[in-house]
Amino acid sequence: MAQDSGSRTLISAAQLQRGKGKYVYWTLLTLVVLGFTLVFIGPLYWMVTGALKTGQEVAQTPPTLWPRHPNFSNYTSAWQNLNLGKLLFNTFYYAAGAVLFQLVLDTAAAYAFSKLRPALGNVILGAMLGTLMIPTIVLVVPQYVTVIDLPVLHLNMLDSPFAIWLPLVTNAFNIFLLKRFFDSIPDELMAAAQVDGAGPLRTLWSIVLPMSRPILGVVSIFAVTYVWKDFLWPKLVMPSPETRTVSVGIYAFSGGSSQNEIIAASVIAAIPTVIIFLIFQRNIMSGLTAGSVKG
Amino acid sequence: MAIITATRPVDRSSAAAPARARRGRKIRDNLTGYTFLAGAILCFAVFTWYPMVRGIIMSFQKTRRGVTTWVGLDNYTRIFADPSFWPAWKNTVYFTVLALVVGYAVPFFVAILLNELRHAKGYLRILVYLPVMLPPASALFLFKFYAYDPSDAGLFNAVLKFLHLPTSQWMQSPGATMPAMVIASTWMNMGSAVLIYLASLQNIPGELYEAAELDGAGLWRRIWNVTIPQTRLILGLLAMMQIVATMQVFVEPLILANGAGTQDSATTVAYLIYQHGFFQNDLNGAAALGVVMLGALAVFSAFYLRLTTKND
Amino acid sequence: MSAPQYRKVTAFALAAGLGLSLAACSTKSDDDGASADGKVTITVDCMPVGTEKDLLANWNADVAAFQQANPDITVKSVSVGTQCNNPPDFTARLAGGTTTDVFYGYMTDLQQVLDSGQAADITPYLNKDNISTWDDVDPALKSVFTDGGKTYAVPVKNYSMGLVYNKVLFQKAGLDPASPPKTWAEVRTAAKKIAAADPGVAGYADYSAGNTGGWHFTAEIYSQGGQILSADGKKADFNNAMGKQVLQNLKDMRYGDNSMGSRQLLQWGDLLTNAAAGKVGMFVGAPDATQAIVSQFKGKYEDWAVAPLPGQDGLAKSTLGGGEGYFFKKGLTDAQIKAGLKWVAYEKLTVGKGQFDYPRAKPQNYPVGVPQPLLFAKDSATAKAEFDLRKANANVDPSIYSQFESQQLPIKGEPRNAQAIYAVLDSAMSAVLTDPNANIDALLKTAEEKVNQLLAAGS
Repeated sequence: MAQDSGSRTLISAAQLQRGKGKYVYWTLLTLVVLGFTLVFIGPLYWMVTGALKTGQEVAQTPPTLWPRHPNFSNYTSAWQNLNLGKLLFNTFYYAAGAVLFQLVLDTAAAYAFSKLRPALGNVILGAMLGTLMIPTIVLVVPQYVTVIDLPVLHLNMLDSPFAIWLPLVTNAFNIFLLKRFFDSIPDELMAAAQVDGAGPLRTLWSIVLPMSRPILGVVSIFAVTYVWKDFLWPKLVMPSPETRTVSVGIYAFSGGSSQNEIIAASVIAAIPTVIIFLIFQRNIMSGLTAGSVKG
Repeated sequence: MAIITATRPVDRSSAAAPARARRGRKIRDNLTGYTFLAGAILCFAVFTWYPMVRGIIMSFQKTRRGVTTWVGLDNYTRIFADPSFWPAWKNTVYFTVLALVVGYAVPFFVAILLNELRHAKGYLRILVYLPVMLPPASALFLFKFYAYDPSDAGLFNAVLKFLHLPTSQWMQSPGATMPAMVIASTWMNMGSAVLIYLASLQNIPGELYEAAELDGAGLWRRIWNVTIPQTRLILGLLAMMQIVATMQVFVEPLILANGAGTQDSATTVAYLIYQHGFFQNDLNGAAALGVVMLGALAVFSAFYLRLTTKND
Repeated sequence: MSAPQYRKVTAFALAAGLGLSLAACSTKSDDDGASADGKVTITVDCMPVGTEKDLLANWNADVAAFQQANPDITVKSVSVGTQCNNPPDFTARLAGGTTTDVFYGYMTDLQQVLDSGQAADITPYLNKDNISTWDDVDPALKSVFTDGGKTYAVPVKNYSMGLVYNKVLFQKAGLDPASPPKTWAEVRTAAKKIAAADPGVAGYADYSAGNTGGWHFTAEIYSQGGQILSADGKKADFNNAMGKQVLQNLKDMRYGDNSMGSRQLLQWGDLLTNAAAGKVGMFVGAPDATQAIVSQFKGKYEDWAVAPLPGQDGLAKSTLGGGEGYFFKKGLTDAQIKAGLKWVAYEKLTVGKGQFDYPRAKPQNYPVGVPQPLLFAKDSATAKAEFDLRKANANVDPSIYSQFESQQLPIKGEPRNAQAIYAVLDSAMSAVLTDPNANIDALLKTAEEKVNQLLAAGS
């Protein structure tokens, strides 16, 4: 990941090492590090310590920098009352399923578009890409009535994780990314595999997928982030307290509890993902770097 | 889902055989192709294409006591006459533009800055990405309760007061609502954009800067003539995605401003759809709003495409 | 992820196939609740959430006791969140047909429930045989859940609004906690004194978001003698002198005296958070607001008292009443409806049981002595029995509610389409509380137009 010293960026390395440049560089670096810490860690600090304060102390002017009598009761009651463990589990479960469904179905589709090229494939691809320009909110109402009474099958999918997983398969951007990547795999490789007697599925498994790891990583990261950030759809299709996601659960809880308890719940909800992120940050960063569209 | 593995039919020595075999293979290839596509097509059909048609149909209907009837343009006249309709559009467009200016330019310059620094790179990258890890509701409650508290106990007001600057009523002041929402939204979302920009910045060949510098181009000229053209594709793509994403801003007004804010200062089209569909028991009106938004976007896309293709 | 993992994942999902996964996507089991041995199962929502520990334990104990007494009935309880009726979720469940067999709704939800076609007509079942106290239930409450001569729900809660005030802050400001304000002018004076005594405190606080603003506007215009809709329910009727007075009172306190604090756009939980933190002098609320302040927001009973709602000159001309009931899902069997009614009767309408089990509530952190819910007709035998049991087990200072109870005001129900109308009125409330230059006439005019449109669309 580290920028190798040989590659040149906007400002040359030499310029930064000269007297004045060096001075400017170090001042800037210090400012950036301090500024970023303040902007990105500051609010988090406020959140963690705020939840340790009493309601009276939070409402006080001017605010206190450190809680006078740190008190963990907001944290304990938030954990118990909100059933945060269950909410977090739900969210991770939905995210994992979304990754699985998108990887399998979108990869299969992109592979077909890129390599198998069935008749009318382009028309279908066009119809899929056309949906890129349609924000999900436009479809939320008809999608919702579809999900509560699935055509032909007449199933009601409310509170079923499939109501989150299956609509997420219709991610044209992922199909586009995957197809572009598959397009860059030379057809000769495929032809060679075919000569060896490999069917399309074998070719996909043993040739295409191993070469596509970076892009599969990107699709997975996007899928996880999407589920993590989505709010309205899970709020609508997962109305029961047992099936809610973390964000929706905290929001639902906010109507009837004190503000500090909600903030405490927010802190707890963020902990597992931040830990996961810190452990895998190298992989996530390099995945995004390697797999993103080349400018 | 069975993959076709049947062996080729035995070659018969008839004149028509090669042609038939070719046609046979073609059919089989198409079948294989569609087998791979089936899952995605089914999902698109059920959850995107069909709802699109259904949304349009719903917008001309009404359902009372389980009975659905056609009502012509009633739903449309009603939503157009809703006093919140135009404020919602104004707010949505305002938010989109503001988010584009702030949420698009800020990450780009942050990425350029981070790309230039030779130290603390990992640390800074993690910092920028950290808010993305918060559940959106958590981040927004943080802003709502602590940062945008209109009394002097609020974090922002305390800082402003400390600096002897005028304090703000934040979400309670119609003028400050949208900028405050954009700040919160940018803070919690910019991490992803920064990383994507960084990746594309690292793909710019160093020689280009070298050459520009030899031509006597200063810092800004180099950004303008090298950095931006070299990242144009990704910039264009992200701009498009950003617009589509910010057009449906929902959770920010819902949590920060309890939905409508003060005098519809926070109402967005997405919130209006939600309000009609799920508070006012008016799913058909909500569907009509969706169709109107679809139309507006279609016009916008056509315009955008024309603009970009003309430039090329 | 390594390549073999992809392979496994792909293999699994391809094998499963989309068709299979759809089939596997199980939905709520649609059994009709009756098994071969004559047992009946009913699902009931609005079970208390974990936050309310005592209430949840009581509920579970009640279910156990009820099932023991009725071995052929199984009650399955479902919790739907801190607020039993969160409008969007409620709409979603109604539209999706995923309500429980016996489901909770506000009095104002009747039209929406009927529109959805989800409720059963239970008129033939409503008699003494199924609910022993039915004849003593206030007829006004029964009529709220009746449409076209058919009744669709059993009322289980009924409240009316008063003025909730903080006695400690009253004392601090040199006011007499025993004589709370009786008119809006007195409220204004008191608020000014309270805010002056402690600059961090709002003398008076009011809602302006999440539909609660409209709810309180309604209560306040009732106090003026006004109404939200015309008698036939077809037109808005608040754009008049009384509606203006409501907003003017608020504007005067907010910007004239600066006695309402700077935090606005409050909804239910926000205001009660501030109140429990000792930052609110007075607010309009039902007596059970004191319960919420203590059990959910960690405040203290001793600090609070409830007075009758003030009016423009003298006490309020009338106050807002509201409440809740249990609906029955369409398609239930005869036995299920009877079992459901039996459960509702046990838990909600029997003195000494369920919500009226005062001896059990006495030692818990839950007040006995709150003069609500007013479910039974005045002077009926059941009402008297309830009153006596409550007095005998009171665990909070009765003076907290005595003012409210001794001066009962005429009660007016919520308007038709209440939630949608409240959403409209929220914006008028938020405007006077956040904009010093708000134009009250224009605000009311806009709101009136909007409500009229809404009514036209709904018919």
